[in-house]
This record gives sequence, C-alpha cells and structure tokens, in this order.
Amino acid sequence: MDEALIRRAQGGDAKSFAELLDLHYDTIYRFAWKWCGHQANAEDIAQQACMKLATSLSQYRFQAAFTSWLYRLVISCAQDWQRTQQRHDHDELPDEESMTDSPRHEDGIFLAQVLAQLAELGEGMKETALLVHAEGMSHAEAGAVLGVSESTISWRVHTIRKHMGRPAARASLAYE
Amino acid sequence: MNEKSFEASLKRVTAPAPDPAARLRAKRAALEEFERVHAANQGVAQEIAKTSDAPRKGLWNALRLFRDDSSHGSTSMAWFVRRNLFAGVAGVCVVGLGIAMVWPVLLERQQLPVAESRQEADDDRAAIVSSALEPVAPEAGPAVAPAPAPTPAPQSAAPGPEQKPLAASAARPDAAAARAEAQAREQDKRVEISESAKSAYRESLEKSLAAKREAEVEKIIAADISQAPDKNIAESLQRADGVVAATPPASQPSKQAESNSVEEVIVTGARRSRAQATPHKGAAAPRGSISGRVASNVYTPSAPPPPPPQVALRGFTGEQYVAPIPDEGRDKFQQFEVNPVKQVADEPVSTFSADVDTASYSFVRRQLTSGRLPQKDSVRVEEMINYFDYAWPAAKSAKTPFRPTVVVSDSPWGKGRKLVHIGIKGYEISRDDAPGANLVLLLDVSGSMSSPDKLPLAVQSMELLLSSLKPTDTVGIVVYAGAAGTVLEPTPVRNKQKILGALRDLRPGGSTAGAEGIERAYQLAEAHFRKGGVNRILLATDGDFNVGIASTNELKGFVERKRVKGIFLSVLGFGQGNYRDELAQALAQNGNGVAAYIDTLGEAQKVLVQEAGASLFTIAKDVKLQVEFNPATVAEYRLVGYETRALRREDFNNDAVDAGDVGSGHTVTAIYEITPVGSETRMVDPSRYAKEPPPAVSGTAGEYGFLKIRYKLPDSDTSQLIEQPIQIVSREVSENVLRDVRFSTAVAGFGQLLRGGTFTGTLKYEDIIRQAQDAKGDDPFGYRTEFVQLVRKATVAREM
Repeated sequence: MDEALIRRAQGGDAKSFAELLDLHYDTIYRFAWKWCGHQANAEDIAQQACMKLATSLSQYRFQAAFTSWLYRLVISCAQDWQRTQQRHDHDELPDEESMTDSPRHEDGIFLAQVLAQLAELGEGMKETALLVHAEGMSHAEAGAVLGVSESTISWRVHTIRKHMGRPAARASLAYE
Repeated sequence: MNEKSFEASLKRVTAPAPDPAARLRAKRAALEEFERVHAANQGVAQEIAKTSDAPRKGLWNALRLFRDDSSHGSTSMAWFVRRNLFAGVAGVCVVGLGIAMVWPVLLERQQLPVAESRQEADDDRAAIVSSALEPVAPEAGPAVAPAPAPTPAPQSAAPGPEQKPLAASAARPDAAAARAEAQAREQDKRVEISESAKSAYRESLEKSLAAKREAEVEKIIAADISQAPDKNIAESLQRADGVVAATPPASQPSKQAESNSVEEVIVTGARRSRAQATPHKGAAAPRGSISGRVASNVYTPSAPPPPPPQVALRGFTGEQYVAPIPDEGRDKFQQFEVNPVKQVADEPVSTFSADVDTASYSFVRRQLTSGRLPQKDSVRVEEMINYFDYAWPAAKSAKTPFRPTVVVSDSPWGKGRKLVHIGIKGYEISRDDAPGANLVLLLDVSGSMSSPDKLPLAVQSMELLLSSLKPTDTVGIVVYAGAAGTVLEPTPVRNKQKILGALRDLRPGGSTAGAEGIERAYQLAEAHFRKGGVNRILLATDGDFNVGIASTNELKGFVERKRVKGIFLSVLGFGQGNYRDELAQALAQNGNGVAAYIDTLGEAQKVLVQEAGASLFTIAKDVKLQVEFNPATVAEYRLVGYETRALRREDFNNDAVDAGDVGSGHTVTAIYEITPVGSETRMVDPSRYAKEPPPAVSGTAGEYGFLKIRYKLPDSDTSQLIEQPIQIVSREVSENVLRDVRFSTAVAGFGQLLRGGTFTGTLKYEDIIRQAQDAKGDDPFGYRTEFVQLVRKATVAREM
C-alpha cells in the first residue's frame, strides 16, 4: 500500500504526499531526536527532512525499503543541520534550560553524552550505533542505509562495544 | 556501564512525543515545497519544449552519461529517446573512423597469402609486391595478433629505407598505383631486396629478443596480480620504482583498441627501467614485440613471468626505496626510576635478577644512528653493558655453569668512590654437545610488517639462523596477521630448501586462516616436543601482539604456564614506530628467553649466528644475584642499571620466583658503585644520632661485601648457590679482564649519560670515547668500534 501511495506522491499528488508525511513523520522525528537528544533541534531536523522528502521523493526508485531510504535522508539532513549549527555558533553548549522542561531530560543528557563519545570515535560511528542499537536494525540493513558494507558495520559495532566497555568511557559518563 | 547496559540504554531512550504544532509546521512546509517542486518541474518541462534554449540544454543532457535526476522523469524520458539518436550518430562516426583506419591493413593482409604462394611457386620471378611486402608478412603473422594490429608491425620491422615507401603505399587507397611505382624503382634489385628484407627482419627479431633477454624484462600479467596474496602487493608493486603498470601505449589507443585489451605490468630492475626509458621511445623493437605478444597471448620462454613475491621483495629492497617518515615516540617502554644511592646502614642487601637481553642497546643504536637521542626509558644500562662479550673466565663444566669474577676499580666519574664489577660467563656448550632443538618461528605478517626493516629483515634473519642449527634440528613456522596459521610443520634443518621456500613465500598483509597465533605455535611445539632438547618459540614482531590472547597479563600467564612445561619463548623485535618493548621484555622474561631487537642484518648475525648458542641453549635458569655489603667498610652503594630486574630480599631464596636465564656462553655483568667508609665524597651525610658504623665481624675487615648467586640447572627445579666474598684488594686478574672492566665502565657511563647522568658528575661523551678507544682490545667483530662511533653520534644527536 505504501508503494502505491509513494508512486502517486511521486506523480505530484499533494494529497498522497500529505498522507505519506503523516505516516512517517513520527519515525523521522524520533530518529532526529535520538540523533541530537534535544526536542527543539529534533523538530528542526524533522522539518528539514520533510522538506527534503518533498524535493527528492522522485529519486526514490523502490530498490531499497522506503524506511531505509528515509533513514538515509534523515541522517543527511541531520548532518547538514549540524554543520550549519557549528558554523553559526561554535561553542553553544546543550541548552540545559530547554531540556529541563522535558520530562525526559535525563534521558536527553545521557544520550547527548553517549552520542558525543560516539562521534569522537570516528565518522559514521554515531549513525551506526543509532541504527543498530537504538533502531534494532541488522548489520546488513544498517549498511544499506549508510551505504557501506555489512562488514564495515560489524567492525564499527565491535569498535563501539570495545570503547563503551572501557573503564574510561564508563567513568566519563556521569549518568548511570 | 558495560556494553550490554549501553545498548540497553540506547534502546530504552525514547523520544518524547512530537509537538503537534511542530508536526503541523513541518507538514505545511513540506507540502509547500512539494507544490513548488512540482509546479517548477512542469514549468521547466514546458519551457524546454518551447524555448530556443531547450535544444542546447537537451543536447547537453543527451551527451551526459547519467540522467539528470533533478528534472522530472516525464521530461527526461523524451530526451532519453532523442539521446539514443545522438548516440547512434556518434557510434556510426566512430565505427566509420575505425574502418577507415583498419581498411588498408586488411587489404594488405588479404594480398599476403597470394604474394607468398606466388613467391613459393617461383622464387626467381618473385613479384615486387611480394618483395616489398615481405618484411611485413611473416611478422604480421606469428608475432602480431590474428586481428590486424598495424602499428607495431611496421615499426618493429623498420629494417631499412624501403620501409617508408611501403608504409606510404599501404596507407593510400590506390595500392595498385603505389605498387607500380615501387616496381619501377626497384626493378633491378628485386630478389636481393627480398633476401635482405628477410634477413633484416630476422635480425630485428633476434635483436629484440636479445634486448629482452638482456633487460630481463620480468612480466606479470594482470591475472597474476589478481592472484597475489593481497591487494597490498599489487599496490606496492605499483608504487615501487622500476615497476611500470603498462597499459597499451597512450599514443595508439584508437588503432590498437580492438586487440589490446589485456593489461600487463612490466617489471624491471630500478636501474634498468631508467636505462631503458630512452630506447623505449627510440627503438620500437622491444615494445613492438611486447605488444605483439599481448595481442596474440603468446608468451615467449625467454621472459618467463617470475613469481610475484620475488618482485615485491625486490621492489622493497631496491635502492629507490624511500624510508617512511618515522612516527617518533610511539614505541612503548616500561618507565622506571634510576636506582638511587642506598645507605648500607639502612639496607645492606641488594638483590636482582640476571638480564642477558640486549634489545635496549640495539634500539639506542638505531635512534642514535638516525640522529636522535633515544627516549630515556629505552635506555637500560645493564642491557647496554651486556651487549658486549667480556673476557670473564668461563666455567669449567656444565655442572657449575658459571663462576663469578669480581673486580674492584676506581670510579672514573666519582672521586673517592669505587666500582665493583661482578662478571659471570656461562659455560659454553660446544656445538657438538648442544642438545637437539625444536624451534617454532612465530612471525607477525600483518600489513605493518611490510617495510624492509621488518618482515624482509625477519626472513633474512631466520635464514641466518638456519645456518647455525644442526641438520637434525627442526624448524616450524607459524604466522599471524588478522588470523593465524601454520605455514610449515616442523621440518628438519637438513631439508633446508623447504624451510627457505616457506620463509621466502611469506608476505606481509596476507591473511591466513586457522587458530590463534601463539596458541598454534605452542601446539606445534608441544606436538613435536623434544625431551632433553631445546623447545623454543621465536616470536618475531614489530610490536603488535594481536596473537590471539588480547590481555597482556593473560598472555604472560599463558607463556609462563608453557614455560613450566618446558617450552620457552624468545622475542625478536623489528621495526620502529610502534615497538612495544615493554611487552617484548615481559614475554621473554616469562618465557625464559631473550628479548633482542634486530635493527640490521648485522645485529641478526650477532644474535642468531655468533651468539646462537646463547640465544637458544639455556645453561642456567632463574639466575639471581644478591650482594650484602659490609657496613664496616662500605658506607653507600648504588647498582648501575637492573632497575627493571630488582628483586626483593626474600625472593632470593624462594625458588618459585622467576628470574633471568643465562644461555650458553652468555656474559652477565653487574656494576656497583660504592663509597667506602671514610671517603670524603659521601652522597648522604652520616646521621648525627645514629651510632658509628659497627666494627667489622672478625675476619671480614678485608671484604666490601659478600656475593651470592642462585641458579637452577635447566632441567632442575631446585636452586643451587655460589658464594664469594668481595675483597677490598682484588685477586690478581689477567690484563684482558682489566681491559674489559674499563670497557664495560665506559659503556655504563654512556648509558647513564643517556639516561640523564644523575650520578656521573662531570663525565662527558669525550671521556667515554677516550676510555672506550683505550679498552677496545682486538674487537674481532667490530662491536666496540661501533660503540665508539655511537658515542660520537650522541654528541651531535638532537634531543627528541
């Protein structure tokens, strides 16, 4: 049913596209939130992703699962977003104020710490961890989303595990 | 937080519900974007259809290799169709061009058989056509492809002036007219030409063959490279100088495109490739024949493709090798403090383990040779001292494998202080009495071992080692990289070629399969265990001990348990940049072996040939030394070096405590610097409140202290004791011993200076050079001369 909907949306049917957005907005937003651990930023990223979906839906060729394609799109949006953020304000720390108004702010802080560590591990590590650990994808699926081979994902997961098992990594996480 | 809880927490973390307002905003924005895109696309489609700009853009689009994804599918479809049309036209042009080029040659070839048969039929009346075409005919046949390959043929023929008109006539469409012209000109010398052309052709063929033979053009076809054990080799081949990855010559692609689809790599010696560069351009003979061979897929026996490994190694050892930029300071050493000066009144007993390793000296030498002062922690003074062989009197029998030599001399760097040399030389097992050896070489073949001072040097070193083994000894080879595998089951040394072959086939970076490296090596050694013989594993590595057991302590424990079973481990270190000396030392100590650092083939020669006995055959295990100083005669003492070998006082009599081992013929030298009671130059002032030094126990007033050595015979688990007093007035010793005392003093001074010279007063490198020069002796292998050079280098080396 998704496919028919997507085809109609590709054909320029605004109504179908709106339906598609309704279906997938939650996935996009959830993933964006995990990416940055911050609600307002996640909303920003999600909006960017929706707009990008509008422009590039026609490029979707039904070769991969639509969700995989979507993840890739969200990741690239998130990365773009991060770049622009870095350019505008270099040293803005996570906005503690806005986090406290969320009931899950602890989760957010913890996640932000974990993600910062993962990002330090190297390119693609954060994405891999999110896809494999948080989204529960298989290594092959994650590889398809990130455009790398399955073994690369396996290696990254191994590296992440090794790093996260280290006392240093544990100690530097205040939360837990 | 461990990895499990990390994963769980990542899963557990869930995003808060999205704000509906934000959701709505996003949706609206996306829909707007959607509308805009589709409206624009339609607009673009119409525009393309209408405006004059369209064809240009369309043409551009059509010539692109890929579809323009930014435009909408329906519009690009139309252009897609039209693009086929363009492609068709272009294709026709290309084909036409190709035919135009190939046509004249085809014509020629069709006439060849006719010409030949005619010539055979009547040699005397050979037609000019045939005579003119003769040079081309045989060559185009066997040497060139079945398909016509025009360029190499005429070029490689090039026998004389006839060549030019011939080529011209071949190129022109009206070949008949040209032939008539040629006929008229060469009427009188028709047969002669036929003959001379033939011989000229043969000559050129021979010449090209000879040129090939001389140049030793080694060929590897692309297929060979793909079969090479690793991509690394292919890559290194391409980087190494003197290796040319030859695709068909760039100037002739359009003509040879059809026939030359096989790529080939031509490997020559580095020097030769330069020498040949010019001839390649000028004389087309070698190249012509090579491309000819490519086309026909016939490989002449004169240039058999050598196995790719040889080539790879040659590339590495070639003169053109550019040393990699060393990453300095990543080598890891155990940190330690220099032994302090101790008060005899507080701590009269000093205990330490023997150390016969020499790795530190080699490493220091390497650093100094490259113009750098070594890291302080890489300098272990006792290893520097023990690098040299001293003339201490040897033991008489294997039962008491050594006897100590004690010499007291004045300290050259501390006025009023004395140096006490304690030298022991292990009993030297003669070659014939040496027990049989069961050696397993455990070689690191990971990609990091590829530089010439690593795996290639290790392989050469092992070849040297073979020369110092008995024919009945066995050698097995296990390698490890990502995984591990047995390369060679233990093979008797008399079967030398087999072992050499296995060694030479080792490639860095090649992945192997099987169990984990070190465990595999021990399994192999156990399976071929030699009772009463030497069972030893030689680990050659550049520092990455990814041998299967990851944790260092576990690895040590493993080595230790195997040692109890009688299998020992020695470590040979190679390379620089990532060397983990600390671990190599620890493993060798736990494995009752030596840790040597091989930086040059000369060092390999020293460790594995001259001192092979010492490296392989242990004559005493767990050698511990203990000195108790006499408080009546000695105020202070300091042990030079042996910081990493210190033992507790109670360890001396505890046979369960492991200590250093001494091999056949090893010399171990320890130097104490002592301050006699009554000397003006005490480091520490005497205590105001403590009582005077106690009077000497009767009969010991003439002694500085008492030396005890404990050791175990190789097959025993209980230790034996050697005791000897240290006399204030040394017994008479030979001139050679005194000379070597002076030399070892110089080495000790140098080591201490490199470590910062805390206790060496005003000692300078110049003093050391003078001392060492003075005490060089006959120095048959030049090691002491090298030491002097090293001190000279230290005077100009820069700080790290």
